[in-house]
Amino acid sequence: MILDLGDDAKEYGRQALRAFESAGGDQLVQQAEAKPDTRESLVAPVLDGLGAWELAPRTDPDSLAAAAALCRSAGYWALPYPVAERLSRPSDLDVDGLVVVDDAAPEAAIDGMQKRWAAVTLDGDRSNVVGRTTAGPAFSTALQLSAIDHSGAGDIALGLVLPCWTLLGMLDRAIDLTVSHVLLRKQFGQPLSSFQGVQFQLTDAEVERSGVDILAKYALWSTGSGDALDDALSLRLAAIEAAEVVFRVCHQLHGAVGFCDETTLSWLSRYSQPLRRLPLGLSATRDQLTRRLGRRALPGLYSGGGR
Amino acid sequence: MTVDFEIGPEATRLRAELRELVKTQVPQDFLGAFTDDPADLEAAQRFCRLLAERGLLCMSWPEEFGGAGASIWEQTVVREEMWAHHEPRGAQYMGVNWVGPIIMRHGTPDQQRRHLPPIARGEVIWCQGFSEPEAGSDLASLRTTARPDGDGWLVSGQKIWTSYATMAQWCFLLARTSKEDKRQQGLTIFLVPMDDPAIQVRPIRAMLGPHHLNEVFFDDLRVTEADVLGEVGGGWSIVQDVMSFERVGIARYARCERLLGLAPSVLSDRWDELPAELRGRWTRMLVHCRRARLLAYKVVSLQASGQVKPGDAAAYRIAVTKLDQDSAEVLMEIAAAVPRDDDASRYFRAEVEDHWRYAQASTVSSGSIEMQRILLSRAMLAVEKARS
Repeated sequence: MILDLGDDAKEYGRQALRAFESAGGDQLVQQAEAKPDTRESLVAPVLDGLGAWELAPRTDPDSLAAAAALCRSAGYWALPYPVAERLSRPSDLDVDGLVVVDDAAPEAAIDGMQKRWAAVTLDGDRSNVVGRTTAGPAFSTALQLSAIDHSGAGDIALGLVLPCWTLLGMLDRAIDLTVSHVLLRKQFGQPLSSFQGVQFQLTDAEVERSGVDILAKYALWSTGSGDALDDALSLRLAAIEAAEVVFRVCHQLHGAVGFCDETTLSWLSRYSQPLRRLPLGLSATRDQLTRRLGRRALPGLYSGGGR
Repeated sequence: MTVDFEIGPEATRLRAELRELVKTQVPQDFLGAFTDDPADLEAAQRFCRLLAERGLLCMSWPEEFGGAGASIWEQTVVREEMWAHHEPRGAQYMGVNWVGPIIMRHGTPDQQRRHLPPIARGEVIWCQGFSEPEAGSDLASLRTTARPDGDGWLVSGQKIWTSYATMAQWCFLLARTSKEDKRQQGLTIFLVPMDDPAIQVRPIRAMLGPHHLNEVFFDDLRVTEADVLGEVGGGWSIVQDVMSFERVGIARYARCERLLGLAPSVLSDRWDELPAELRGRWTRMLVHCRRARLLAYKVVSLQASGQVKPGDAAAYRIAVTKLDQDSAEVLMEIAAAVPRDDDASRYFRAEVEDHWRYAQASTVSSGSIEMQRILLSRAMLAVEKARS
């Protein structure tokens, strides 16, 4: 068993972290929020420099690992660019990116992006994105679709897994920021970190984050296998649940300053929303997985065991 | 090199072999060795001897001590399959998992000759004399004392929550041999026979099972240098070593996952009539089982490469003990809908009820969840302090 990304992928992720920081770091998302149509010009040069679009995650395992590491680094800086969605593009369609959508209310965080997008539903129906209507917070926008085919079943898993890696990067950052904050901030004459009530909340967040970390690696390994969609939905269920716990803890421990625009947590928290709500939120994701499982347990190495 | 979660053909073959042995050699209604029915203890002892004969009981041990030098994944499979099926090794798992390995590491050649072969043959049960009425999580405050007397010591004091003490032949006893500046100093491990008349055991009937918890009283128990494990006064470092063997500990996720996996087939068509919300909770628990299992694998892997940190193990322990309790609640609700008209259904309900009772202790035993949270938060804060 190999339970971690390879050294090359991890180094690539570290390079990406440094490159995003040099390009503006936390300022990028704030600039993009002011002018969503500058997302491409703000971020694309950095991604080009990292060779992001030379990665072929659907066909090459090393590219897949590098893509995951890149998405995690993008999440760490709340990068205002749909990196995971672009890396998820299907190999047989002439498009720049793929978003997984709820067929009843197709929506994605691609406001301001001028690329050619495809969409796939959880049933595998593929469409071209031909228009956008109402724009919402965090670059989310309702989509108008034009049907292509029903052949997208194999596209869905990666389209769910890579955004979870982005969300994981956001959880990494939220916890890092919060640990720094509680070490620095003093109340009653001592750092917040010295209070057991604070320490224990941090551990709630970390258990959730570390769970997503290992499930994300498992789902990455499973991508392309027959169980890929079950594994991707399992990851997504755990990741959404974890995000709820992590952001609640991090906001609580930051106190009022965590809501201020001068605090990075505030930006991370609100820009985590599309990743947590689209294509489906917690309850709908759980329902989807429950329906798929029916009377069987999760697939994988561990099934069976009855007598 | 990228991620690969294949456990390997040897471990997979071993899993199949263990499941077959459980199916054919363990009574169909087995719920552990510590019930009021002596046949259950006999079944466990018989199963242990069978495992020993097949070289499966101590396969994780090094070959020089009669083991098979099994891979970490084979060891993991043994832990999983045994716990999943109500630990048919009974109390012997403690001897195999940590008493034997600790004696290999710290024992004299005489102690190794005396103690390791009976453990390897599945013939001996050990208990752990650590916790006391005034020393639980704060173990170093223990009061059991070994005071010098002639060429040895006389041990007096009381242990509590001692699992399997009524059936154990030996005790892995921690006592204070001197008072030093630090409470962790001056503690010594003694290997003592439980049939000494200076030892009295009083069972504590509890929801965990009628023959599980005990009080143990030591009234001037005579011990000598030959009974000391390691150095006199060096017991605390051995305790830490014991804890490191218990970092992964019981594979609680395996039983949770097996019972959750069985539920739909036991309920058959009634499964579809369960409230959708309950089936959703069942799905969530399956995901949490996978999460705990993968976190366990991470700790096992880091431990094997010598890179495990207390925070990694603590995060896993928090996840798995909470899973144990959360899944028990979901299973109890599911079990209420199980028909009572056949043996398989009755056994499933009994398994679930047993799981629920035992799960209540999972956040308390072998290092409480509060201690795990302290370890994890220390690790998180130390990393950031080191950075800055």
